[in-house]
This record gives sequence, structure tokens and C-alpha cells, in this order.
Amino acid sequence: MLKGSCLCGDIRFETAAKPQGASMCHCSQCRKQSGGIWSSAYVKDTELTITGSVSWYEASPQAKRGSCPRCGSFLFWKAHDEDTTSFALGAVDGATGMKIEKHIFTASKGDFYEIADGVPQKD
Amino acid sequence: MIKGSCLCGAVAFELTPPLRPVYACHCTQCRKTSGYFWAATSIPDEALALIRQNGLRWFQSSETTKRGFCGKCGSSLFWVPEGEGRTVVAAGAIDTPTDLQTKAHVFIADKGNYYEIADGLPQCAGFKGDEDA
Repeated sequence: MLKGSCLCGDIRFETAAKPQGASMCHCSQCRKQSGGIWSSAYVKDTELTITGSVSWYEASPQAKRGSCPRCGSFLFWKAHDEDTTSFALGAVDGATGMKIEKHIFTASKGDFYEIADGVPQKD
Repeated sequence: MIKGSCLCGAVAFELTPPLRPVYACHCTQCRKTSGYFWAATSIPDEALALIRQNGLRWFQSSETTKRGFCGKCGSSLFWVPEGEGRTVVAAGAIDTPTDLQTKAHVFIADKGNYYEIADGLPQCAGFKGDEDA
């Protein structure tokens, strides 16, 4: 069972599924919200249990972003037309058992860092 | 004048240069709030002007530090070590181009196990502060 929580602990999540698509997102929306890069993986909605009151924000009509209203942790990303939810790898408690598989939206990356880990990049 | 904002715009600010180089913090608190590591510059309080702050919320993250975020969109924006007269500002919230450079990775003893740091920058187990950098 993989478990995670926000900084203050008001919101917790867990999944028994094997998360997919461990990635780092460099898009401007994730940069604004996370402060830099957002790392996440996803599981089916039906396999993710979330407890606590998540604050959802739609930065575009296609998706919503979930955060903790008390501590501001950026926890979830959910596309409306997909049956999966992405969760922040930084919020996972203990070892994630995952390795980052790809960098995405690198064409939008911030100018204050370099990507040098050899992990595949996608614009 | 350097401008920045949260994702939804309910918090907007202006920074008067110079800005400190960026430090990428891998501590557990920064990883929890940001989702990965938190990259930030630092500026004296008098060089930070809040243009819009109706979305601004504060979370007391320790006895002497607090974190500022947008309550509407959840953007991680500020970290304030109380009594130091400065605010640490998320590099990602600053409008591009920031013309900032990351100087080092800090608190890597707490880093996540799912990524590697390979950019050749210094890696510090903790952070002693380098406000004159």
C-alpha cells in the first residue's frame, strides 16, 4: 500500500495499485503552482482513496488541480476525460518504489535550472 | 521591476532586484508542499510588494517559519523565517524570463528516492544560509 499526505496532514491518500507514468512536469501551470517542477504518477480513480477536503482549481477547462486548503500543498491533477488521477510524488510518505520515467512539457521549462539526469524528455 | 503571481492570479507581487540565486530545497516540508523540490530566491521584505493578496493564506510550518500560498489555486509562493526581515519567493511563481540561476541543492539528506540530481551543482546535506550570495 502506497500512502501520502500533505504537509499539515489534513489530506491523506493511499492506493494499492502500481502507479504509472512517474514524470516531472515543466509546464507553466505546474511551475506556477509548485514553485518549480511537479513530479507525479497516476492510478485509476477507483484505486485511489483520498481523505480530507481537497480544494480543486480548474486552470483550464480540461483538468483540475487539487491542493490542501490549510497548508497549500499541491497534491493532485485530474483530467476530466480520463479515469485516472495524478498524485504528487513529493507527498508520498516513505519510499515511493518508483523512478522518474520522463520529463514532460520541457519546452515550457523555467530558465533557472537545467535538466541533466539523462531521463527522456518530451516537449 | 520583476513581476510574479500564483497560477490563478489571486496573489501577485513585484520584486525589486537584486534577487538572490535560487536554491533548490529537498527537505521534507518543501517536497510535501511543492510535490517535488522547492526552488526559491530570497529578497528583503522592503523589496517585496504585494500587488494582489486576496488569495494569500499562511500556514505556520514550524515555530519560527510560515509558508504563504494561494488559497484559491494552491500555488506555493512564500516561505518566511520570522524575524529575519526577508521572504523566500518561489522561482516558479516569477514571470519568465526570471534570469535567475540555481546555485545549489540543499537538504539533500531528505531528498526523494525517485529522482537523481545530476546537474553538477553543489549538493548540501543541510543549509547554513548564504544570503549574501
